[in-house]
Amino acid sequence: MFSLIENEVIKMISKKRLLFVLGILIVLISIFAYGQNQSQARTKAQLSQRMGISATDDWRKLADQQLIDMKNRLDSPYSDEKSKASTRVRMEQLQYNVDQNINPLEQSAAKFTTTFMQQAIFLFLPLLIIMLSADMVSGEYSSGTIKLLVVRNVPRWKILLSKYLTLVVLEVVVVFFAFVIAAVISGFFFGFGGWQAPVATGFKVLAGKLDTTGVLNVPQWQYSLMVYSLGFFVAFVVGSISFMISVLVKSTAASIGIIMSTLVAGNFISFFLADWKLTRYMFMVNLRLTDYLSGSFQPVEGMNMLFSVTVLLGWAIASIIISFVYFTKQDIMV
Amino acid sequence: MLNKSMWYSILTIACVGFIVLSIGFYQSIIVTTSANPQPATKAEAPQTTPDLTKLPSKNANSFKVLLLGDSVAKGTGDEKSKGFSGYLQDNFKNSTPKDILVDNAGVDGLESLGLLEQLQSRKLDKTISDSDFILVSIGGNDIRSILTMNDLAKQDQFKVRQDSYLANLKLTMKTIRTTNPKAIIIFLGLYNPYETASSVEDTRLLNTWNYNSQLLIEQDGKAIFIPTHDLLKFNLARYTSKDGLHPNSAGYQAISNRISKSVEAIITGS
Repeated sequence: MFSLIENEVIKMISKKRLLFVLGILIVLISIFAYGQNQSQARTKAQLSQRMGISATDDWRKLADQQLIDMKNRLDSPYSDEKSKASTRVRMEQLQYNVDQNINPLEQSAAKFTTTFMQQAIFLFLPLLIIMLSADMVSGEYSSGTIKLLVVRNVPRWKILLSKYLTLVVLEVVVVFFAFVIAAVISGFFFGFGGWQAPVATGFKVLAGKLDTTGVLNVPQWQYSLMVYSLGFFVAFVVGSISFMISVLVKSTAASIGIIMSTLVAGNFISFFLADWKLTRYMFMVNLRLTDYLSGSFQPVEGMNMLFSVTVLLGWAIASIIISFVYFTKQDIMV
Repeated sequence: MLNKSMWYSILTIACVGFIVLSIGFYQSIIVTTSANPQPATKAEAPQTTPDLTKLPSKNANSFKVLLLGDSVAKGTGDEKSKGFSGYLQDNFKNSTPKDILVDNAGVDGLESLGLLEQLQSRKLDKTISDSDFILVSIGGNDIRSILTMNDLAKQDQFKVRQDSYLANLKLTMKTIRTTNPKAIIIFLGLYNPYETASSVEDTRLLNTWNYNSQLLIEQDGKAIFIPTHDLLKFNLARYTSKDGLHPNSAGYQAISNRISKSVEAIITGS
């Protein structure tokens, strides 16, 4: 079993597929980091023009002022009890900036790395995973090598399992390298620090409304760990689904086409079918898991972290079962 | 051989990565779902109890002033943390021997709808009915976000915002008046903190807004509209704070002076 997986992994490496994925990551992340760098400079210029202050030098005075104001707000008996938690969290963040002498407007490698995965999780990362997974089984049909695999004295489910586990291994590798590449490349642009900075999280959805009473700060490294873990979970789910399609469909092109169009459609499906409750059980609309962490989502009645994770897990498990049943039962004729 | 070592390194990355990612996944589930993830209570400044228990001033030797509305009413931006509650008190004291008591109920970021809800929650009723002066500053947050829009959207949005604002303000006035028909209501007009960066058209919109507010406010015989736009127009550098939005200490003092001049006769007369 172990050697089967090893064999599969080496097959993937020799196919250069993994190298392509890493290459895409390096190129795109470099472009993003460069763009961020540019837009940050522009924002600064605009800000100083608009407010008549140079935001780069005066941020300390501004932050001090904001701290005083927020403290007053906390002390005020009239301010809303609910908003106090978020005020407290903002205060902690600002206090950290002041203590560590970090301009809150500055980008940091840690921030960039986290944001990258938050933006990649619903389309870019799934597409990378599809590159690896979509031809895992169908590719063997296309090239005819499936015969050589199944005539070996190994049960069919073992063959498929080794392929599936290889996929999981590669998913971890991709997420890991996405993190390393983003951290290193953005480090050259923005400096390597920022991993200790506090980030607000802990938002919840209560009765269709965003609830901020439980908001708390976690250090950036922990936050980005959570973000990348969710990224891995999404990779796992999308990988399972496209693995199933590659088992069901014998042509690689069709397999890639199906899963890709489903994913892209998922990005605007909620726009057209907003009233249709069933859409929320589709995996594509549940991929933005990191939004639950950052609280940057439009609260939808009945949708929360647990719901989305359950739906995604359901899809993944169903896909795995279908793949195995189909692969062990079907006739293979090439 | 190369393949072998690559395989082992990939395997190591995969195993370690899988464990770490699982931990992170667990954490993120916990943090977004658990009932209350470690209450973020730090050594929090003790709450000052509101002066709700103090004697009503109707018969006693004191004036009560209530500050209602947004961050400007609250005094945000004043580096000396005084705001209207500080300066109005100082100014009024010069005109009368009575005690001046100030209740500050301003909330940062409050919009006209928020103020209306605050009043309709009836929590402030007692404070309102005890007050002799009620200073209201509202509307800045209603209109602020349209500044960044393009000209066309700005026109449309301005109309929409102004209509809802005026409706809210009307109800707000009504609510205050049902609780306290006697108090003098001092309403602060808006100024433009981005004067240097805004067009003639922006100024026109601001003036329209202020004009309509004034019309509405002064339908009430015991309410006065205090403009601030003229006071700050050329003095933005001196009178606005570092955040570029709120008045600073000098700004609050200047507006307070204007207010106290306007109501001087009422204070000294009674």
